[in-house]
Amino acid sequence: MIEIRDLHKRFNAGTGNECYALCGINLHIRPGEFVTVIGTNGSGKSTLLNAVAGTFSPDQGLIRIDGNDVTLRKEHERAHHIARVFQNPFTGTAAQMTIAENLHMAYLRDKKCFPRLGLTASRMAVYRQEASLLEMKLEDRLSSQIGSLSGGQRQALTLLMAVLTRPKVLLLDEHTAALDPKSAALVIGLTRRFIERDKLTALMVTHSMQQALELGDRTIMMHKGSVIDDIPGAEKRRLTVHDLLDKFNELRKSEQLTEELLSSLRQEYV
Amino acid sequence: MELWVGAISLGLLYAFMTMGVFLTFRIHDFPDITVDGSFTAGAAWCAVLLTAGVHPLAALAAAFAVGLASGWTTAFIHTRFRINGLLSGILVMTALYSINLHVMGRSNIPLLNQETVFTRIALWNPGIHPEGWNALVLSGCLCFFWAALAFFFKTDLGIAMRVTGNNPAMAAANGRSVSGMTLFGVALANGFVGLSGAVVAQYQGFADIGMGIGTVVIGLAAVIIGEAILKGTSMFTRVLGVIVGSILFRFLIAAALFVGMNPIDLKLLTAIFVLLTLVISKSFRPAAKSRSPLVGIGRSRIGKKIAAAAVLLLAAALAGYAVWMHLGGQESKTVQIGVVQLTDNGLLNITRDALVQELGNLGYGPGKKGIIYLENAHGDLATVNTILDKFLQQNVDLVVTISTACTQAAINKIKSKPVVFSTIANPFIIGAGKSETDHLSNVTGVYGWVSMEKMLELSRSFIPGPMTIGAIWDPAQANSVFNVELLRKALQANPEITFQGATITSSAEVYTAAVSLVQKGIRAFVLSPDNLVYSAFDSVVKAAAAARIPIFIADVERLKDGALLAYGYDYTSSGIQAAQMVNRILKGEKPGAIPFERYSRVTIGLNLDVARRYGMNVPEDIRSQATRFIENGKVVSSRPSPNKAPSIGIVQFALEPNVELCKQGIQKALEDKGFTGSRTPEFLFRNAQAEISNISPIVQDMVRRKVDIIVPLSTPCVQAAARFAGGRPDVQVVFTYVYDPYRAGAARTATDHPANVTGVSCFPPIAEMLDLIRTMLPDKNIIGVVWNSSEANSESVLLQIRSHAAQTGQKILEATVTGPSEVLEASRSLALKGAQVFLNSGDNTLNVGFDSFAKVAAENKIPVFSVDSEFIEKGAMAVLGPDYYRTGYDGGLYLARILQGESPAAMPIQQTGATLFLLNLDAARSCGLAIRPEFLKKARKVYGKAGGKSIHE
Ligand SMILES: Nc1ncnc2c1ncn2[C@@H]1O[C@H](COP(=O)(O)OP(=O)(O)OP(=O)(O)O)[C@@H](O)[C@H]1O
Ligand SMILES: [Mg+2]
Repeated sequence: MIEIRDLHKRFNAGTGNECYALCGINLHIRPGEFVTVIGTNGSGKSTLLNAVAGTFSPDQGLIRIDGNDVTLRKEHERAHHIARVFQNPFTGTAAQMTIAENLHMAYLRDKKCFPRLGLTASRMAVYRQEASLLEMKLEDRLSSQIGSLSGGQRQALTLLMAVLTRPKVLLLDEHTAALDPKSAALVIGLTRRFIERDKLTALMVTHSMQQALELGDRTIMMHKGSVIDDIPGAEKRRLTVHDLLDKFNELRKSEQLTEELLSSLRQEYV
Repeated sequence: MELWVGAISLGLLYAFMTMGVFLTFRIHDFPDITVDGSFTAGAAWCAVLLTAGVHPLAALAAAFAVGLASGWTTAFIHTRFRINGLLSGILVMTALYSINLHVMGRSNIPLLNQETVFTRIALWNPGIHPEGWNALVLSGCLCFFWAALAFFFKTDLGIAMRVTGNNPAMAAANGRSVSGMTLFGVALANGFVGLSGAVVAQYQGFADIGMGIGTVVIGLAAVIIGEAILKGTSMFTRVLGVIVGSILFRFLIAAALFVGMNPIDLKLLTAIFVLLTLVISKSFRPAAKSRSPLVGIGRSRIGKKIAAAAVLLLAAALAGYAVWMHLGGQESKTVQIGVVQLTDNGLLNITRDALVQELGNLGYGPGKKGIIYLENAHGDLATVNTILDKFLQQNVDLVVTISTACTQAAINKIKSKPVVFSTIANPFIIGAGKSETDHLSNVTGVYGWVSMEKMLELSRSFIPGPMTIGAIWDPAQANSVFNVELLRKALQANPEITFQGATITSSAEVYTAAVSLVQKGIRAFVLSPDNLVYSAFDSVVKAAAAARIPIFIADVERLKDGALLAYGYDYTSSGIQAAQMVNRILKGEKPGAIPFERYSRVTIGLNLDVARRYGMNVPEDIRSQATRFIENGKVVSSRPSPNKAPSIGIVQFALEPNVELCKQGIQKALEDKGFTGSRTPEFLFRNAQAEISNISPIVQDMVRRKVDIIVPLSTPCVQAAARFAGGRPDVQVVFTYVYDPYRAGAARTATDHPANVTGVSCFPPIAEMLDLIRTMLPDKNIIGVVWNSSEANSESVLLQIRSHAAQTGQKILEATVTGPSEVLEASRSLALKGAQVFLNSGDNTLNVGFDSFAKVAAENKIPVFSVDSEFIEKGAMAVLGPDYYRTGYDGGLYLARILQGESPAAMPIQQTGATLFLLNLDAARSCGLAIRPEFLKKARKVYGKAGGKSIHE
């Protein structure tokens, strides 16, 4: 479903604060595969997701979605097939608009906009039905502004919006990082449910070792703009947190991880 | 009625623009300044199409399209080249200025006899008041647009647009092209703005290049007002709020004019009003999260109450004042004349002043029959309309318009009342009439343009043979273009003269334009009337002087600034002739039967200094035609009247008894020196009403009126006079009633002062005062003084008191105050510390709170000495101070000497020696004191039981 070949991106090239964020990524994700991405801060996880979504154009390389070369496509064009949930609950929704309008916006993701009445009675019925899936009683508050919701509710809603049109690809960038543990668990539950329901191809960045191991069919580890490890589903199921730590140790031995990096990984994931 | 209904109509017309501003600022969060340009663009295209015979509705559609294109351009620059939105707007707005000018071909297109949507609407009028009908139809129209726009925001496209404005990142992630949406939204918004410009042009009857200036601010103000009034998140409420805000804004302007506020303050008022609305609406929104420190106040209950009370008070005050003025206005059954001028421009002011003066001579004006309302739109065309509405509301009997734009607006709006215009070049191009006798039935007036043939002829007598002349003008002003055309036409008869032109768009460009002409080898500047060029005339002089190129100009007022020859109308004659027309109409003549008149007086002026400097001979026949000369920097009239009455402008700070004495002294001295009969000076009395800010305009006005001598009374007036008249060759300054002119900065020493400034100071006789206390009450040498340390005058007096007391061995107890309310406590503290005598050193704050001072003195049986004679019957025992009548008289003597030809430069500043010594026996007795006869003998006047004896000079 997603095919990335030799992808390079340098930010602020030629200036003092040049940053080589992606250095030759090669990745192939099959349809319906749910991949979790781990790595230290600044390793390029978000940049990778942004490259797939089309927020910027890469310096070199190729991105294919469902067989189509989208490397030169703009973000809003790719959005027809790609849905995203951001780390910040404020980024994924329009605060000054109602829940229904936000859902409608998501509904329009793969459609053209015409000046015809948006929230018709039938659409509202659909949204009420969809919102009830969240079990947050939001179906009764479709006309209230998003700004009045909690972060967890907003993020759950963003997730709902992302899967509303059954996208080909779902990108999740630490989408529970800004939430309290209870809301995070809830959103993770929803994530798993929706992905399984629609058999979505998904790429999820996480900083939680637990999530990385429990969720998905495959885990990739990133470091300094490259994929340094790729753990297939079969191996993953056997792994425990300790195994993963051993893996880090192995990596260290092969000199790919320094001591301090290791300790920072331990801190983060354990 | 017209004022308020007119405000509604104008508000509804501007509501289209406000909706556009709402779209950009609120929906798109895009600071779009294009509005100022697209508003005019809409009006310009609409006007051009209308004059070409296009259907009014089609013209409106075109205006909408033009607005659309302007907005699209701004958004394109912003999205495509990633240029800051504000900057993109400024770029497009600036470019539009030139484009609009090209489209219009001139700066102003009249639509008076054109069919407009309003003439169409009028056809269906079932018989109600035309302005009311307009407002009614417009409200219907706006209802439609309101519903349509609000509905649009609920469609797929509208929702997408709002999301894009609210959260662009989310919109992009949901498949919306942010740049596409911005292009669409900003374009649509400016479409509305263009439409608004077009309907406003059709409504006011003309399109003008300057009509868009400041539009965006008005739009913002309306949006903010609307949001504060109508709260709600529904798009129907929000769009309605925008329309209501636009109307309320116009009401605010109308109300301000109605209560007689100076239009110059309108902008300030707008700013304050918007600020107030913002602050108060924040205070009322408890959920609002803001870092504003004011929100803290607003959140509290008391804060809310205060805010509510403030709003109510403001409204009540305005309403009360309005009602009061209204009643006042209705009581008078006298003639009312409304005068409106476009800007505060020299020529227009001359016209206005001459008009008012001549009306006065004819018996109209203050204190006579009739009221004259003087209004100035300060360059804002929308304000002209509101002023006219106000005149209609006041039911004036007649409107006088000064300048072309005002006339244009007036003849379009006013059909049932006489309109008399003045100081306009060509009334025919604006549709006031076909000829001098065949014109609109309610309109007549005075017009005229300078003959360029004559101007050329005059220049030929200085420079014969082939030559190149240079002209500079602003193509944006209809008047300037018209005059340049006249000049070009005149040139056709003179094949020997070649023409070099340079156009400018602002006064800052005049210098460069002049230099470029000089470099092209012109022999003379021939400057036809142009407001911008004339206002920057100094730049032309600078460029011309370097190459010794003479300047011929059409404004006599500019002669002394360095023109060689001026040939122009006397704009006073415009005002005078207009006043006479007003009189004829008020006496019963029909305006339709009074032919337009040309200005009757022309003046030829020669600057002999320039002629000498450039080594040019002044031909004798020109010398004989000229009536005004500049020689050695002075204006010399060819018909000097030796017995001419001098004009003297007296400016005082506030109404005080002593100033009145001083003024009497001045007048008496002049009388004694023979300025009586035909030489009785023309006095111009001005009072700043205790407001510092009023003084400088008064002084500037006196300079402009060319009074011979300005007489400032009191320190702030002396300062203003020194600042604005000091060093000028055309006016003299003789001050008096001032303690310390040196501290005030008017002079350095008695003999070192600006050449045209001198006067008489009246520093209180401090040494004498302290000696008096010592000799009168030898056993009392602890003196208490209350004074305000922030008063410069008081400070100089106190310095003197201290240094003298040090010599005499008297002890000074000081208590400083900052306001009159503190005087009581300060006086008590002095009494407690053992003061034996209270001295009022003439401090202004103490003067106001003198009663408290006297009360404490009486309670403690302390005698009061004062340098201010006012208090002799209010508790002072003795007064020894300047004799203000004599001070004035001394000043008057100076005036007389200057009027007789002496130069102020050679007259040292004089300190008046005249003092006034007064005694009050009652006050002495209540302190248990007796005054020795030797003092009684010396006193000018003795008050109280035992005496009442008065000694005259
Ligand atoms: N738009 C940008 N301009 C410049 N530098 C960028 C940009 N986006 C990312 N970078 C840089 O690229 C590198 C990778 O950043 P990225 O956000 O992908 O890291 P990450 O793995 O998501 O880290 P985290 O775990 O902290 O979210 C960082 O050094 C970052 O500073
Ligand atoms: Mg990241």
